[in-house]
Amino acid sequence: MAKHETPLLDELEKGPWPSFVTDLKRQAETKPECWDILGQLELSYKDRITHWKHGGIVGVFGYGGGIVGRYSDVPAQFPGVEHFHTVRVAQPSGLYYTTENLRALMDLWEKYGSGVTNLHGSTGDMIFLGTRTENLEPLFWDLTHDLGQDLGGSGSNLRTPACCLGESRCEWSCYDTQEICNHLTQHYQDEIHRPAFPYKFKFKFSGCANDCVAAVARSDFSVVGTWKDQIQIDQAAVKAYLNGDEGYPVNGGAHKGGDWGPFDIQKEVFDLCPTQCMWMEGDELKIDDAECTRCMHCINVMPRALRPGKEKGASILMGAKAPILDGAQFSTLVIPFIEINKENDFEEVIDVIEKVWDWWMEVGKNRERVGETMQRVGLPTFLSVMEIEPLPQHVREPRSNPYVFWKEEEVPGGWDRDVKEFRKRHAA
Amino acid sequence: MALSLEELEAAIIEKATKSPKPQLYVKDFYKCDPDAKPRQIKNVANDLVKKGELMFWSSGSTTMYARPDRIKDEEGAEGIN
Repeated sequence: MAKHETPLLDELEKGPWPSFVTDLKRQAETKPECWDILGQLELSYKDRITHWKHGGIVGVFGYGGGIVGRYSDVPAQFPGVEHFHTVRVAQPSGLYYTTENLRALMDLWEKYGSGVTNLHGSTGDMIFLGTRTENLEPLFWDLTHDLGQDLGGSGSNLRTPACCLGESRCEWSCYDTQEICNHLTQHYQDEIHRPAFPYKFKFKFSGCANDCVAAVARSDFSVVGTWKDQIQIDQAAVKAYLNGDEGYPVNGGAHKGGDWGPFDIQKEVFDLCPTQCMWMEGDELKIDDAECTRCMHCINVMPRALRPGKEKGASILMGAKAPILDGAQFSTLVIPFIEINKENDFEEVIDVIEKVWDWWMEVGKNRERVGETMQRVGLPTFLSVMEIEPLPQHVREPRSNPYVFWKEEEVPGGWDRDVKEFRKRHAA
Repeated sequence: MALSLEELEAAIIEKATKSPKPQLYVKDFYKCDPDAKPRQIKNVANDLVKKGELMFWSSGSTTMYARPDRIKDEEGAEGIN
């Protein structure tokens, strides 16, 4: 029996797609507070304004993140959502769960919360939606002591690092994404659980340029697997693709349901290569690897014929973010190749992380993502801060600005200047 | 750091007590000791949270610091973290 009339929300149940309204009504059969979610949302639709109050001091002892406070501004009308805090639970690397663990997590949330979940939030955490303040400490105790799991990051913290499933299942992965993700999660516990920065900071680790965790679109610090040497080519397999052999479906068979005609390597591979670095010589495939940007497209199309090179590592890009203030932006390539070495606890990557943090913590404005700070100071300044020599890979297009500003140390012999003397002639 | 740890803690507490707004960003504490590195200031501020001198205040997307006696939570109780 519905507790509130929800004619506007009911419209959302009429389409062919799954409806969260139907899900919440079903959930309300055992968790009556879910009626109040629907009731409050219906009111928001009518009033055209949110009725959630955002933030506050809720949390668990010693942590400055992991819980996001939510309160209703109409609690008398909807007492079930008077408190409706969000709990972020750190996801395991690669999002692998045992069924036993999932059941235990769901039982925990049935016991202490609304039972409503979101797997997974955009940072990658499991999101548990809706609990009261007095349930937070008991939930945290059970989560950490009984399940051995932890809260994720929120606020101006390092957010829960995320990775693709990497070498555990994917032959294209150029490094062990789960290993570095787990290592840095342990290494930066303080930064994850307590505020450290001008604003949020996200790591994401993708094993290759297919970027299955969308590191380039969504993380301040994107580590994307790549290789230094040549793409490995199996010329016999190339011929098999060209002949349309049954065991060699294009794109690994991903599109074989449609009638696409015979495989056309010119149209489907060469013409789509961003640097046009591939061609056929007779029946042999040639690649000018010096021009290749390691985009993975050709490897995706002919996975049995082409493989990443043998000298593997990662590119580091920085500064992606979602469109809250300035609009969305992808991360910018900063380091084209870096070794990912678990033998020295990923020292090279940690050095880069801490260099950018030290700079951003000092120069970044409050609520400014590192990508916005980079944009504000400009890439040349940022590269100089990072002590990185500019490379062709940093350049998006030829310059259109005719002015070149040299630093004194960049000009042989330098120069002498007397600013006071200059200002006598040119007032500031 | 130009200040001793005790002096820095006292400066941070004073800043949090006297600032016009009760919630402060970690960056607002940097001026308490301009010679200290931002990570040192952050660590001292987080230690003050453990000691109960400061508390975290979260908007969800940003976490700020405040003196517990200057903040009331949404439930009307004084802020004790």
